[in-house]
Amino acid sequence: MSLRYMIPASKFKKYLPKDYVELVDYGPFGKDYNDVGVKNMGTYKELVEEHPMCSGCWMAYYIKIIFASLPNPEDTVTIGTAGCGRLAISQAAVPFIYGNYGDQNAMASGITRAFRLRFPDRHKDVITIAGDGGMMDIGFSMTMHAWFRRERFTTIMLDNEVYGNTGGQESGMSMEGAILKMSPTGKKFGKMPAMQLAITAGCVYVVKMSPTNINKASKAIRRAIFAARTLGPTFLHVYTSCNIEYSIPTNDVFRDAKEMEKGRFAYEEYMTDEAKELFAQIESKNKREVS
Amino acid sequence: MYYVAKVNSEMCSTHKCNMCTLYCPEANTLMYDKEPKHGNSNGTSWVDEDRCKGCAICVYVCSDLLDRNCIEMVMVTTEEA
Repeated sequence: MSLRYMIPASKFKKYLPKDYVELVDYGPFGKDYNDVGVKNMGTYKELVEEHPMCSGCWMAYYIKIIFASLPNPEDTVTIGTAGCGRLAISQAAVPFIYGNYGDQNAMASGITRAFRLRFPDRHKDVITIAGDGGMMDIGFSMTMHAWFRRERFTTIMLDNEVYGNTGGQESGMSMEGAILKMSPTGKKFGKMPAMQLAITAGCVYVVKMSPTNINKASKAIRRAIFAARTLGPTFLHVYTSCNIEYSIPTNDVFRDAKEMEKGRFAYEEYMTDEAKELFAQIESKNKREVS
Repeated sequence: MYYVAKVNSEMCSTHKCNMCTLYCPEANTLMYDKEPKHGNSNGTSWVDEDRCKGCAICVYVCSDLLDRNCIEMVMVTTEEA
């Protein structure tokens, strides 16, 4: 998307929906990240619009952080698949493509390559955002092969450890023994080691985290996008609880995320030497760029 | 009838803080007005009631984490109800 296409003719403006006009006047497009980034959420028009995700959904919260962290929202495309997350991702003012049943990373491979041919002089960021089912179960082969091929885009897994959108079936990322509505006897095997798989498959930057520190979460997202532009695949494995299927009272969702941060979602960051060098360059050149 | 968050702007503006806006899971819902309010040097948070889903995470942040107690959950009704 180009900024030119977004800005309506002044005489036409009064006929446009209020949300659209607010987005043009008060949105983050073309503005400095330090004015409209995560630290200033609530003071500008954010990209995510109203969506039907549940009250207190931590996945919705992380999606909000993703969109507030984008380095160039006007030059970004998101790709998702079946699952809760796409209900909000598709409601953002960033082009969204729906990948059927877990093929988001295969689609992203083609789109990234096409963008590089069509726009050789600029960065078009491609980000796949899907749940643990879409990424590690149904879309597993396509996720892994995109990484093996060193496709240069960012993969974000919203891990709620369950198929929340379809009634609570166990996923490969559910914990061993997890008793869910559709796995009443408890899961029989352990959680898949997504981070290790990503590193083995060749991702240049991998982070596992529970998003409780907004700056840390934003920094990881921006680093993943910057590294994917030139170096190779990047992967963020993020805990985004399902308060419905795991029966977490909505006002305890943040508390739960903090508990997870002390346990199996303790912050872990992996980067190659090349990525480390790149971040040092970006962050020393402009300390305000990645904050 | 909806269950929504309500900010006491007089109390809120005594603190230099916008933590609740940073942790609200809904975009464009718990907003922050930077203009100084109520004779204090700080602005205040405010809630777009049409968008609030009533999760009360903001109350957890304001009361449990920060012990400032500036937000409460209230029922709102339409004028006809």
